[in-house]
Amino acid sequence: MSRLNETDIQGFVLRGYNLPVARYLFLHFEDAERARSLIGRLLHHVTTGQRWDGGKPQSTVNIAFTQRGLAALNLPDATLLSFPVEFQQGMKKRAGILGDSGLNSPERWDELWRGDLVHAWLGINAQSAAILDSRYAEMLELMRETGGATVLASQDAAAVVIDGKSTTREHFGFTDGFGNPDYLGVDRSSQPGQGKRMPNGSWAPLATGELLLGYADEAGELPVAPVPHILASNGTFMVYRKLHQNVATFRSYLDEYAALYGGGKEKLAAKFIGRWRDGTPLDLSPDNPDSSIAQDPNRSTNFTYGADAEGTRCPVGAHIRRVHPRDAFGFSGRLINRRRITRRGLPYGPFVAEGGPASDSEERGVIFMALNASISRQFEFVQQQWIEYGNDAHQGNDKDILMGNHGGRGKFVVQGDASRANPPLICSKLPNFVELRGGDYFFLPSITALGMIAMNLVDPR
Amino acid sequence: MSNINGKVYAMNAITPMKPWKTWILRGFFFLLGHIKPLQQDLINLSFIEFARWVVLPRRQFPFLGNGQAEEELQYDYLLFFSNFNGTWNQYIDAFSAVLSKGLNLVWRWSEKFPGSVPVTSFKEYIARVQFDTDYYYTAYPHAAANDLKSAHVVQASFDKLAASAQNYTPEQFEDAYLRFVLEVQTHLGETGEAPIVF
Repeated sequence: MSRLNETDIQGFVLRGYNLPVARYLFLHFEDAERARSLIGRLLHHVTTGQRWDGGKPQSTVNIAFTQRGLAALNLPDATLLSFPVEFQQGMKKRAGILGDSGLNSPERWDELWRGDLVHAWLGINAQSAAILDSRYAEMLELMRETGGATVLASQDAAAVVIDGKSTTREHFGFTDGFGNPDYLGVDRSSQPGQGKRMPNGSWAPLATGELLLGYADEAGELPVAPVPHILASNGTFMVYRKLHQNVATFRSYLDEYAALYGGGKEKLAAKFIGRWRDGTPLDLSPDNPDSSIAQDPNRSTNFTYGADAEGTRCPVGAHIRRVHPRDAFGFSGRLINRRRITRRGLPYGPFVAEGGPASDSEERGVIFMALNASISRQFEFVQQQWIEYGNDAHQGNDKDILMGNHGGRGKFVVQGDASRANPPLICSKLPNFVELRGGDYFFLPSITALGMIAMNLVDPR
Repeated sequence: MSNINGKVYAMNAITPMKPWKTWILRGFFFLLGHIKPLQQDLINLSFIEFARWVVLPRRQFPFLGNGQAEEELQYDYLLFFSNFNGTWNQYIDAFSAVLSKGLNLVWRWSEKFPGSVPVTSFKEYIARVQFDTDYYYTAYPHAAANDLKSAHVVQASFDKLAASAQNYTPEQFEDAYLRFVLEVQTHLGETGEAPIVF
């Protein structure tokens, strides 16, 4: 496959910007014509997937729309009704399917998400807080000049800073961001273990249509997409979820069970996730973290579970094994190739080091943004079948330990062996380490599609 | 009147075949029945409880005599019957992803079979030839096939421990208990409600 038309695809889709600070604005359109003129003005600001041969930009801007947003822009009904049903419904109405009940139920979400006013997401990433503020001011000025949108709320997010350095850690202390897949045609420094497993044991990029609309997917088909084709092509869908992290609960739960566990606290923490906190995969180094593995792109994602069927190295229910099972279900991984998602996003809230005074009530967590060609086939499947349910992993109704909506009733089995340093352990009465505070489903259009929307030229046929 | 009972889905599909093609299919079934490795992929899909294809020859349909008009059927029929855990979409996605060659050999003799890849036309075909279930009983609606298999492992291991534990010293019991836990540690999933179908 030749290279994609990178200048027509929003940069946010093709690469993780790896910029340390971000602000996500949630917009409401009051008037279709004025909103379209805003989008027309924004076109010159939206960061595309063009290569950064001249170095990384100081800041980036990207935009995506909810179904209500597209309706507020007066897209034709025939187009609106051609979107996949889960996008038309929005995330709140999919709560039952997603297991977003109890502590995660929509009535407990932040006020912004309890309502139905969010029409668009405008994401700004930047090199520094000062640059972020000035780009933000520029965006506000555009909105003021055009009267195209009001800002309902904004969400700041930033890489966790430890000892003055930006890191890829999240608030529980784990190094994050290993799992994103490679796709055909996407220009990216790829690593073995990030694409799909081939029968000969090598790794290959996933079909482009798993990420972008308008290209063949892993089943050899075009993903379900709205009409007209040119509105959909080079666009994708984004899932936005604000995931609050109960850091105090996580730390006290880990301490409580570490006292019962012969392998030690750090090993138990690693068993929960499948990686040591520095990112070393348990399957490659079950006894110690090994930074030479964690920092080697040829090794940090290059492993499988086939030789660890009993989970004595990486537990069968460990988080990374649940959400990216690689070859764990057999068939050299073919059962999972149409269930992969691409993660963007950053932590939010102040980081509290181990031993520091952390509470559950402080605003702190991760902004989870997942990109996929089909929200129902990819994100929703992973969320329902692999996070909130366990049959594929032979775990019955057990949920993912880290993300599961346990409500105090969950259970996690650390498989072990007969050695003293690796005993089996059953962790019970799992609380919710993570709680959902809201979010929605967004359509992230191509540059061409943004232009069509701005010029009111979307014709269903 | 539902194809779903708890964690189990029952699928019935009936497809017509030109009679001369039936013999080819019978030949393939003969091979499949006698070469075990050929069945392995189907068996390894752990969410399938049961799957069977049966040829219904056109001259062997029940004829009850008086009052039933005699029919001259032009086609033989292939009945596919399966019980599986998970959703209809998930099942056919998995079939198409990992069993496409085998499925094509079974179904290509049926009229208008489009092939099992790409999956959308395959799904349209199955939806068209599927007959809904009138009555569906399942003994364990809160359990999947994997849960039942696990329960057997746990029960057998527990019985073994119970039978010998009477005479153990505390040290021996500690050792035997650890061995018991190691035997059952991958079989301890909860049973419960199935996720909402989508």
